[in-house]
Amino acid sequence: MSERATPAGEPKAGTSRRTFLKVLGAASATTAVAACSSNTGEELIPYLVHPDETVPGVSNYYASTCRECAAGCGLLLEVRDGRTFKVEGNPDHPLNRGALCSRGQASVQGLYNPDRYRQPMLRKNGRLTPISWTQATTLLTQQLAGIQGAGKAGGAVFINQHETGSFPGFLDAWLEGYGMPPHLSYAALSDGAVIAANKQSYGVAWPSLDFTAAKIVVSFGADFLETWGASVPQQLSFADARAKGVDAPRVIYVGPRRSLTGMNADQWIPCKPGSELAIANALGGTGTMAQAAQSADVPAATLEALASALAGAPSLLLAGGSMELALAVNALNQKFGNVGRSVLTTQPIESFEGMTTDAELTDAIERMRAGQVPLLFVRGVNPVFTSPRSAKVADAISKVPFKVSFSSYPDETSELCDLVLPDHHAIESWGDAQPIPGVISLQQPGMDPVYDTRATADVLLALAKTNPKLAAAHPAGNYREYLISRYPGGTTAFTAALIKGIGNGTVAGQRPHRAAVPATARAAANIAGTSGDFYLVVYPSPLLEDGSGANKPWLQEIPDPVTKVCWQTVIEVGTSAAARLAIDPGDVLRVETPAGAITAPAFVYPGLRGDTIAVAFGRGHTAYGRYAQNVGVSPGDVLPVAFDAKSGAMAWTSTKVKVTKTGDFVPLVSAEGSARQHGRGVAQAIDAGDLARTEPAEVPVSPMHGNEQTEEHMPGDASHEFLPGLRAPVAQDAQGDLPSDDNLKGMYDPKHWSGMAKRRWAMTIDLARCTGCSACVTACYAENNVPTVGARHQSSATAGLEGQPGANILRGREMAWIRLERFYEGGETLDESFETRFVPMLCQHCGNAPCEPVCPVYATYHSPDGLNVQVYNRCVGTRYCSNNCPYKVRYFNWFGYGEPARPQYAWPERMNWQLNPDVTVRGKGVMEKCSMCVQRIRESEHRAKLEGRALVADEFTTSCAQACPSNAITFGDAADPAWSVTKLIADRRGYHVFEELNTFTAVVYLKKINHPAPSAPAGR
Amino acid sequence: MSTMAPDRIELRRDNTATADVQLPAVKSYTQATDEILDTLRVTKAWFAGLGVAVLCLLIGGTAWAYQIYMGLGVAGYRPPVMWGVYIITFVFWIGIGHAGTLISAILYLFRAGFRTTIYRCAEAMTVFAVMTAGLFPILHLGRPWKFFWLIPYPHWRLIWPQFKSPLVWDVFAVLTYLTVSATFLFIGLIPDIAVLRDRETNPVRKQIFGVLSFGWRNSDREWRHFARAYLFLAAFSTPLVLSVHSVVSFDFAMANLPGWHTTIFPPYFVAGAIFSGMGMVFTIIIPVRRWFKLKHYVTINVLDAGAKLCLFTSLVVGCAYLTEFFIAWYSGSEVEQSYFWNRVFGQWWWAAWIMLTCNAILPLLLFSQRLRRNTTFLFTLSIFINLGMWYERFVIIVPSMSHEFEPWKWGPYAPTYIDWAILLGSFGWFSMWFLLFIKQLPVLAIAEVKEIVPPRMRHAHAEPDPEGHSIAPGLIGSYEVR
Repeated sequence: MSERATPAGEPKAGTSRRTFLKVLGAASATTAVAACSSNTGEELIPYLVHPDETVPGVSNYYASTCRECAAGCGLLLEVRDGRTFKVEGNPDHPLNRGALCSRGQASVQGLYNPDRYRQPMLRKNGRLTPISWTQATTLLTQQLAGIQGAGKAGGAVFINQHETGSFPGFLDAWLEGYGMPPHLSYAALSDGAVIAANKQSYGVAWPSLDFTAAKIVVSFGADFLETWGASVPQQLSFADARAKGVDAPRVIYVGPRRSLTGMNADQWIPCKPGSELAIANALGGTGTMAQAAQSADVPAATLEALASALAGAPSLLLAGGSMELALAVNALNQKFGNVGRSVLTTQPIESFEGMTTDAELTDAIERMRAGQVPLLFVRGVNPVFTSPRSAKVADAISKVPFKVSFSSYPDETSELCDLVLPDHHAIESWGDAQPIPGVISLQQPGMDPVYDTRATADVLLALAKTNPKLAAAHPAGNYREYLISRYPGGTTAFTAALIKGIGNGTVAGQRPHRAAVPATARAAANIAGTSGDFYLVVYPSPLLEDGSGANKPWLQEIPDPVTKVCWQTVIEVGTSAAARLAIDPGDVLRVETPAGAITAPAFVYPGLRGDTIAVAFGRGHTAYGRYAQNVGVSPGDVLPVAFDAKSGAMAWTSTKVKVTKTGDFVPLVSAEGSARQHGRGVAQAIDAGDLARTEPAEVPVSPMHGNEQTEEHMPGDASHEFLPGLRAPVAQDAQGDLPSDDNLKGMYDPKHWSGMAKRRWAMTIDLARCTGCSACVTACYAENNVPTVGARHQSSATAGLEGQPGANILRGREMAWIRLERFYEGGETLDESFETRFVPMLCQHCGNAPCEPVCPVYATYHSPDGLNVQVYNRCVGTRYCSNNCPYKVRYFNWFGYGEPARPQYAWPERMNWQLNPDVTVRGKGVMEKCSMCVQRIRESEHRAKLEGRALVADEFTTSCAQACPSNAITFGDAADPAWSVTKLIADRRGYHVFEELNTFTAVVYLKKINHPAPSAPAGR
Repeated sequence: MSTMAPDRIELRRDNTATADVQLPAVKSYTQATDEILDTLRVTKAWFAGLGVAVLCLLIGGTAWAYQIYMGLGVAGYRPPVMWGVYIITFVFWIGIGHAGTLISAILYLFRAGFRTTIYRCAEAMTVFAVMTAGLFPILHLGRPWKFFWLIPYPHWRLIWPQFKSPLVWDVFAVLTYLTVSATFLFIGLIPDIAVLRDRETNPVRKQIFGVLSFGWRNSDREWRHFARAYLFLAAFSTPLVLSVHSVVSFDFAMANLPGWHTTIFPPYFVAGAIFSGMGMVFTIIIPVRRWFKLKHYVTINVLDAGAKLCLFTSLVVGCAYLTEFFIAWYSGSEVEQSYFWNRVFGQWWWAAWIMLTCNAILPLLLFSQRLRRNTTFLFTLSIFINLGMWYERFVIIVPSMSHEFEPWKWGPYAPTYIDWAILLGSFGWFSMWFLLFIKQLPVLAIAEVKEIVPPRMRHAHAEPDPEGHSIAPGLIGSYEVR
C-alpha cells in the first residue's frame, strides 16, 4: 500500500509488473512441463508394438499350476495388459476339471499382497533392512563357503513346502553339491497319518476316490470336502455322486465335530474323540459293537444300523486322524470290496508322495535347539506358526547361526531369519508338478514379477554358477531352461504342453520317495491321560488351512462354511455344553492346558459333542502382514507336542482342556442372521424316497400362503403355474410371447435393435450338489471387484467399533454379492439330530423385481434380456431398493472402499492390480449387487458378433458357476432350449425362493436330496 | 378464571372450552397489541437459548460434514436396516408439521375459535418442521450432492425420475407442503407486519416491514381480499394435511416388507402426525405462554380444547396399532405374524412398548378434565408424546427391516453418535428458526386476537356526555378503532 503514495516517475520498490509477468510465465511453463513427466514413467498402454496375441483390453489366458496346497490343480491365469487379475481352474486339467477352491482363487491376493517383501532383506542391528540381490547372493555364497570350510555342511537344514515335480529333485541335487543333506518336504496340518497308512495298505500315498461307485459313504473324521487330501477332485466326484438323486450314496459322518463334510452327510454319529478306531474295529469284526458303542458314547443300535447298511451296498470308507484308524478303515474298504471300485489305488494322486512327517521336522528342530545346525533354509513354510507353541520352534530356530528364508511374506518364521531372499509368487514362476501318474502339470508365470523378487530355483542356480566345482553340474541358465531340458520331448513338446498346461509323461529323476516311518520312535498321544473338562478338537480352517491363507483378505472375509464367522477365532461349544455351563454365543472363554491358554468368544454349535470344544487353526498370527497380524488366536498356543505313534504325524486332537468363562463378551463377527428358516422355504429339500415316486410333483404350496389354490389361472404366476416360472408378464413380453403383437407393454420391445430381447438369462443352483464350500463367493469377489471390508484398518470410522477387525461385518456390511446361507433343520432339542442346508443366495434377477419401481432415479431397471441392472453412476443411494428386496442381496457402499485416500480402501497398493478391468470399482454411497457377470455376457455377445455367429449354448458362464467345485451352478439363456440351464429349470426339484411374492426370479434352485436311513420314517 | 370480570358474557360453564374462546383478561385492543408486541423484546434468556440452538446445529452440521466425507458408514446402519434415524426423524418432523396446518387451516374452516391464539405459533412450527424434515431425505442419501436427480428437470439426456417411486412423490409432497404452508403463514402475518411497521422506529426495518406488509393500509378492501386469500389458502392447505402424510406413508406402504405393506398406513400416519404435532404444540406453547406472559391469551380453555384433540388422535392411533396386529393375525401370513410378534415380544419389545405407552396408554389420562387443565401435566405428557411418536416411526422402520422375509439376514440396529448428533442438530436447526421467528414476528396473531376481544366502547349510552346528550340519537356507542 505504501507504493501508492510514491510520487509518479519514481521507480517503485519491488517487482515491476513486467518482471512479474515474466516470472509468472516461466514458472507456469516449468510447472506444466514438470507435471508432464513423473518419476515412475507410467504408460497408459504398456506396448507400442505389442507382442503377439497381446491386444490391449483383451484377456490372454495362461495355463499354470496351483501351489496353494500340495494337490497341484491346473490353473488358467487371466492376463490383461501384462497383469494377472484372475485365477480360474483349467478345464483341461484332469485333477480339478475347471473347478478351483477358494484358496486357489485367492492366490492372486498373495501375488499382489501389499505386505510382500519387495526385495532381499538382511538383519542388521536386529532389524530386517533392504539390501540388493548382489549383496544378498554374495553374503549367502560366503555363508555357504563358510560352513563348507568348517565341514559343517552336513548339519544344514532346508525346509521346503511340500510339492511334486522337478523342484524337489533339483533342490536335493543342489544341496548335495554343497554337501548338505536332502531337504525336508513339509506341509503343516497335513494328513500324514493317513498317507502313512495308505502307503502301507496300498503302496500309494493317496488313492483317488470315486464316490459315484458307492451307495454308502462313511467318513471317520475325514473332511474330504475341506482339507483332507485333494479336496477339489474329491468334491467334484462327491457332487457327481450326490447328483445321482435316488441312486446317490447315503453319507454318514463319524466324529466328535460335524465339519463341513459332516454337514453334507445325511447322518452324523457324534462319537467321542479318539473312539473312531473302536467303531472301525467293531465294523471290521475285531471288537464288539457294544464295546465300541460304549467307548464312543453312541447308541449301539446306531452302530449296528451302520454295520448292516455297510454290509448290503457298495461303500466307501474314509478316515482322518491316526494311522491306526486309517489302517483299520483301509482294511474295511478291502473287506467290503471297495478297493478298485470306489478306492482307486491304481489311479493315485501323486501330490502327497514323499511328504516329510511332523516327527522328522521336530527332529530337525531339536537339532537346531542343540546347536547342531549351522545354516537353515526355509521356503514356503512357516513352522514357527504351524507348530504348537509348546514345541518352542522359534527358540530353536534362533539358535541357528545363519537362517535364510525364501518367503515372500513377513511371516513368523522369516521374521526370525537373518537373510530373506523373497521368492517369486507361483504366478510369477516356472515350475511343474506331477499330480497324477503320467501327467505333468506345468507352471508358467502369468506376468512379470510384481516386486524385486527372484525365483528360488534361479537363485540357487546362480549360486551354483559362482562355484566352479558346481557350475558344471548345473548347466541350465535358468530354471525354465532346466525344466525344458528335462521335459520328455524337449522344447517342442514343452511349448506345446504349455498351451494346455498339462503334458503326458513323468517328471524325470523325481526325488526318491521316502520311507514313511520316522527315524525315532515317539510317545503316542494319549488323550485320556490329559486332564480337563473338555476334549479339544483342532482342525485346519477350510479357508485359511494352516494359516497361510490368513494374509488374503478374501479368505479372512468369507465366512467359515460351518461357523459363518470371519475375521475372528471362535471356540466352538456344543449346544448341550453351552446349556450346561450357561454359555451364550460371544461369551469369552478361556481354554487352558499345561501348554498355555487362549481366550476367544464362544460359538454355540449343535454339531459338536457336549464333552468337546473345537477351535480352527489358521488365525492368530503375530506377523504375516496387515490382514493376518493379531486377528484371532491360534489353538497352537494350547496344544502339547504330541504325535501319532505309528506315523510320526502331529496329533492335533490330543488333549483335554480346562474351559472357564471370563465374564467378558465379544460379539461374533458373523454373517449369520437366523440359522433357522422359520418356514420360509429358502432352502428346500426332498427325500430320495419321494423323488423316486413316479407321479408328478405336486404344485409346490407356498409355506407362507397356506394351502388354498384358486382355479383362476394367472399367466406367469409362479405360485399357480409350476416351473419354470420365468414367464413373468415382463419376461413374456420380452420374449415376444404376449398374445398381441401390439401389446408392447413397458419397455421390453422384442423388436428392439439390440436383438437381445429374445433372451432370458437365468441360473439354476442344484442344492443336491452344493456343499457350501464358498468357492463361488471367492470367485465373485475376484471377478466383480467386490471390496473386502473387515480388515482392521478399514474399521477406523466405524463408530463404536474403531480399530476392530471385522467391525464392518459386525455392522452387517459385508459386500459379498453371493453368500452361502447355512440353515439348520431339526435338532431343536438336544437329543435330536439336525440337517444342514446350504443355499448360495445372490441377486435373483426377478422378472418382476421389487427393487425396480422404488428407485427414484432409475438406477436399477430391467434389461431387455432379463437382467436386473444396477447403474452405479445414476445411483444416489436412497437404499430403497435394498429395503424392498426380499432376498436382501443388494449391498451398499457405506464407505469409499474404492478411494485410495480413505482408510477403508479395500485394495492397498498392488492389491489394486487384481481389479478386473471389465468391472467398475463402485464409489462411496452407491448400491451394488450381482450382475450375473454382465461383463462376461456382453463380452461373449460381442465376440460372437465379431465372429459373425450366434451365441453357442453354454459357451460361457458366470464366475461363480465356473469356479464351483461341485458344478452346482448352471447359467444360461432360459429362452433357448439348447442351453443346459433350460433343461435344468424343468427339473422336478426346481423351486423359486419366495415365489409367493410373484417376483419371477431368474434363479431356480433345485431341492437338496436327503437320504434318510432306510428304517427312519421318511421326512422330518 | 379468577380474573374474569363479572360484567363479561357468562360462560355457560366456567371451565369448559368451547369453540367461542373468550379472552376475558384482554380488555382492549391496545392492551392486546402492546402485550403481544412486548414479546418481541430481546432478552438475555433468548440469546442464551439461541446460542444453545446454534451450538446444537453446529454439532449436527459437523457430524453431517464428517458423514459426507467418510460415507454413510459412520452412522449406525446395519444392513438389512438400510433406513435408520434419518428417515425416522424425517417422518417425525413431517408429522410435527401437520398439527400446525390442522390448527391454522382445518380448524379455521371449522370455525373452531380456540385455534386463534395458538395458530401462529403452530403454523410457524409447521414451516420450520417441514424445513427440518426436508433436510433428512437429502441427509440420508449415499450421495447427497446428487439429490437434485430426484427432481424432474429437463435434461439433454432425457433422464427423468422414476415416477413410480414413492420417493419421487415425497419430493413433490414435501415441496408442495413447504410452499403452501410458508405462503399461508406469510399471508396470515400481513396485518401484523403492518402493525410492526407502524410501530417501528428504525427506518431500515420500517422499510422492510413495509415491503413485507405489501403496504397494508387497513382498508376494508384489503381486509376483504385478505380474508378471501386466507380462506382460499386454508382450503388449499386442508387436503395437504391429509395428502402429504399419506404420501410419506406410501414410502412404506408401497414397499413389500412385512409391517410396511399395509393399506392402513395413510389414515394411520395422518392421525399420528396430528397427534405428534399436538404434542409438539404443547411442548412449545406452554413455555411460550409462561415466559411471554401470555396466559390470558393462550387460556387454559385453549389448552383443554387442544388436549381433547390430542386425546382423540391418540385413540385413532391406538386403534391403528390394534388393527395392525389384527390384520397380521388375520392375514395368515407367517412372515407378517412373525414380524409383529417380534415387534412386541422380540428383539424390539422395548421400542414397541415405549411407543404403546407414550402414544396409546399415557394420553388416556387426558380423559380427566383436571389433568387436561394442568399445564405441568400437559407439558410432561407432550414430551412423552414427542418421544413416543419418534419411537413409533422407529418401530415402523427399523424392526420391519431387521426382521423380514429372509431369515439369514435378520439383524440388530443401533444408532451411533453421528446419528444422535444429526438428530440433535435437527432440533438445533428447528429451534434456531423458531427462536428467530418469535423475536421478529408476533407469536400470536394480533389481528385475529382482536377479533375475539370484545371491543371496548369509546362511548356508551349509559354515559351521557358532559353536555348531557348523546353523540347521536340512536347510537349506542362507538368502537375504539385503534
